[in-house]
Amino acid sequence: MKLIFHRKRIAGTLVVVPANERSFAADMKNFNFPKSRSLKLKEVMGFDKRRVVGPDVCVSDLAVFGLEHLFERGWLKREEIDALIVVTQTPDYLIPETSCVIHGRLGLKRDMLSLSLSQACTGYLIGLIQGFMLLDQESIKKVVLVNSDVLSRKVSSQDRNIYPLVGDACSITVLERDTEGSVVHAIVRVDGSRSGALMIPAGGMRQPHTSETAKLEDVGDGNWRAREHLFMDGAAIFNFVQTEVPPLIESLLEHAGAPMDSVDFFLCHQPNRFMLEKLADKIKIPRAKMPNDVVGHFGNNSGATIPTVMAFNLGERLLREKLRVCLAGFGAGLTWAGMLLNIGKFDFNTIIEYK
Amino acid sequence: MDKPEFYQRLAEILDVEEVKPEDVLKEFDGWDSLAILSVLAMADAKYGVSIKAEEIRSVVSAQNLANLVEAKHKPE
Repeated sequence: MKLIFHRKRIAGTLVVVPANERSFAADMKNFNFPKSRSLKLKEVMGFDKRRVVGPDVCVSDLAVFGLEHLFERGWLKREEIDALIVVTQTPDYLIPETSCVIHGRLGLKRDMLSLSLSQACTGYLIGLIQGFMLLDQESIKKVVLVNSDVLSRKVSSQDRNIYPLVGDACSITVLERDTEGSVVHAIVRVDGSRSGALMIPAGGMRQPHTSETAKLEDVGDGNWRAREHLFMDGAAIFNFVQTEVPPLIESLLEHAGAPMDSVDFFLCHQPNRFMLEKLADKIKIPRAKMPNDVVGHFGNNSGATIPTVMAFNLGERLLREKLRVCLAGFGAGLTWAGMLLNIGKFDFNTIIEYK
Repeated sequence: MDKPEFYQRLAEILDVEEVKPEDVLKEFDGWDSLAILSVLAMADAKYGVSIKAEEIRSVVSAQNLANLVEAKHKPE
């Protein structure tokens, strides 16, 4: 579906990562897996360091920490927030939604909108789309978009397919109206028939938590996982990305009437280096235009990978200048989306550590 | 499709000198999730063929794999 927004901008973005760092090489020692193959995975996929929370840290902890940092620095005023959108699939509670939890902890004003969206690796784009729509309301001048997951708490430490690559993070993006005549083009797509490729089967209403759903099961290749843990069919996801994302980007550029070489950077979700290199090759752009090293520094932190690329790869540049970028997210749902826009001259664009 | 060339590409992915048509894929030490992704990427980049993950898991020998790619491959 094609979408278009006028006179909206990203004012700045802050990413909060846990101070606790784990290494791929050390994690892989816990598995019965040849060292030579681990080294090859590290080299090809780009897995190395990742940031994970402790066992009791929730999304609201990271978000409150980050928002207080913004208030202290004067980058955002508490009373300016007219809408708070939280995109997460690892909420603090089933009820109430996490945006209200953050609202209460920060003592925000009552005359505002609080909203939570359950979206995975496309979540940042879905959140931006929602935020831009809210900015059409006269009374909404500033939207805060929190996109955060603590997925490390929902993966089995005995599942080699996923445990050594997942990271946690919280991104906080401020959206506002743009006085310049900027145009944002976006495309969103979904295929719910393939939802089984990335899923946590138990713990919701369909298969409520019991001692059985929490029990580790032998899932082959020496891996153990409970039904309450995240399952990922890596090969099916790889296929999905290679098949669906290139035509999405093509349609997006066509929608915007923009040639491929007018785009300065392609800032994509960051599952691993291999997938992004293949994606860059497939859409025939230089690999340098599609940064791919977030996973090796922070791990795959779900929807927050896109703001992490902005801050990690283009941090200083986006404070000084404006760049034309194509954002692309893809993941559980399955959902995938792209957005073409000018970003830059940010008020802030940095990464801080949560201790 | 140039079959010897396909087996050579497969050998590079599996990190071995040579792959014969009758070789059973599962018996290679290097036949793991990364190798499967590499085969998917190779089939896509070199032959313009999209193979599904289920399809690749159901093949036994190197020849089965070559046949699967060839069946989908449409020469330009």
